[in-house]
Amino acid sequence: MPRSTLTEAGSAPEAVWLRLKKRLFSSPLNTLLTVLIAWLLLMVVPPTVEWLLLDADFRSSSAQGCADSSGACWAFIAEKHRLILFGLYPYDEQWRPLLASCILLGLIVLSAVRRFWRPSLALGWLVGLLLVGVLMWGGAFGLSHVENTRWGGLPLTLILATFGIAFAFPLGVLLALGRRSRMPLIKAVCVLYIELIRGVPLISLLFMSSVMLPLFLPEGFSIDKLLRAQIAIILFAAAYIAETVRGGLQSIPRGQYEGADSLGLSYWQQMRKIVLPQALAVVIGPLVSIFISLFKDTSLVVVIGIFDLTQSAKAALADPQWQGFGAEAYLFIGLIYFFFCFSISRYSLAVEKRLQGAHGSTHYLS
Amino acid sequence: MDQPIISLEDVHKWFGAFHALKGVNLQVSRGERLVICGPSGSGKSTLIRCINRLEEHEQGRVIVDGVELTSDLKRIEAVRREVGMVFQQFNLFPHLTVLENLTLGPRWVLRRSAGEAEETAMHYLKRVRIPEQAHKYPGQLSGGQQQRVAIARSLCMAPKIMLFDEPTSALDPEMVGEVLEVMIELANDTGMTMLCVTHEMGFARQVADRVLFMDAGQILEQNGPAEFFSNPRHERTRAFLERIL
Repeated sequence: MPRSTLTEAGSAPEAVWLRLKKRLFSSPLNTLLTVLIAWLLLMVVPPTVEWLLLDADFRSSSAQGCADSSGACWAFIAEKHRLILFGLYPYDEQWRPLLASCILLGLIVLSAVRRFWRPSLALGWLVGLLLVGVLMWGGAFGLSHVENTRWGGLPLTLILATFGIAFAFPLGVLLALGRRSRMPLIKAVCVLYIELIRGVPLISLLFMSSVMLPLFLPEGFSIDKLLRAQIAIILFAAAYIAETVRGGLQSIPRGQYEGADSLGLSYWQQMRKIVLPQALAVVIGPLVSIFISLFKDTSLVVVIGIFDLTQSAKAALADPQWQGFGAEAYLFIGLIYFFFCFSISRYSLAVEKRLQGAHGSTHYLS
Repeated sequence: MDQPIISLEDVHKWFGAFHALKGVNLQVSRGERLVICGPSGSGKSTLIRCINRLEEHEQGRVIVDGVELTSDLKRIEAVRREVGMVFQQFNLFPHLTVLENLTLGPRWVLRRSAGEAEETAMHYLKRVRIPEQAHKYPGQLSGGQQQRVAIARSLCMAPKIMLFDEPTSALDPEMVGEVLEVMIELANDTGMTMLCVTHEMGFARQVADRVLFMDAGQILEQNGPAEFFSNPRHERTRAFLERIL
């Protein structure tokens, strides 16, 4: 069998060496680069591994024990992980945000699987969100009431991101359609909105929502701070989503509209059945980038004193008993952010692949 | 005689400064088959696109099956339900399978059930002789097959009028035949009113009741095919026919 002889030849030591030589030392420049990179790796990798694992302290119960080792103090994370993950939520009740986060994540994962796209999923979301609300707020079924000013950490980040994407996406799509509308008023409003929001940083929107918005509201009428931050995030992301979707809409050839017109489809039928499915497929990549930045941008709510993951990590660092473990804390939350963002990114790749595979020809995706 | 199914009265259309239709008058009776030819830019496509209001006429009247086209969306949608159109570039929906392309209109515009729409779709796919492609995507088909799907898609709406806008111009020469064959069958087997912009003069001879020659936004000459081809009255018609025949 030719194939197996080939692999055998390929795995023989001298063949491996030949291949390596060809790839790494084929020219003076490549040789130089190989040596340089090898040197850099030698400088960086061993100390990192030592710090991260070999010399790390996993068990000490106090900062004193950690100070004796030269590596990372993972004991600090073990000690503080609940504060970092759940913020100021009452310690004994922290199973509630944990359960709420699990419900939220479970729903998100279910929604990502095409097989579950049916009406019962919407019902699942309704029940799930109700459960999350009851768990977080309490005040029912014997659960003690917890003010949302005490919410924090991972559940808060998840809530802000999930609702942010869930509301910003349809709003963004509507804005994109509005911007291409033939009705001058609708078009003007959408353009104004998109340009205004894109012209200011999210931080200033958050400040405005927390400082200026109350000034405009009638006396005695106030919107919860968390809700205001959530709205600011939604409004902000929607403008960017709108511009991205508009790019997708522009890639749809006029013939598609004419084909749909000639069948007598109404405007909304055309958008739903013909235009948006194609336009969104084109912009999955950039859209997911926006979702990922939205997920990370939720950390900006610290500026108005909301206790998200970043802020709760900071709170953990403030403990006078455990000083100087910033690297560990930020690495820990960095890993959490990375886990979520990387998952979103992989999922979008899978979706793109599926769409390309499905249509045989991908001429309208490229 | 019956009232004409399509009636254009002094229709004008401008694209910016370009005067694309210069006062076109046209009456088409029920079941009549028209072939429209003429040099490019003469307004033939614009003319038939005014009939289902893919183009808006700016002066004159367009009346289709008793409904006058205005900017009223209800009227436009009513006319479009009666009028099928086949395009030069097929304009199939690439993200839907052939079957989904065919059932879309009946399901969402005519509100047919899924089963009924699929039955109709398969019926017309058989008529255009590609039932085996039902579950493929348009991108997997040849140009000739795609155009036949497009014809079937229009037929699924059971239109009273079919418009063909250069249906064979984008096809490789060896595929022109299969599309024309389907169109000839359609003309012979149904009493459907057909307007076809094409340079396929063989097709015109075979099926047309009347051949129109357009030039510079006007209908210059119209006649039965035998008379039109053997005895063109106008100088420019003669020159045009000499060039393409």
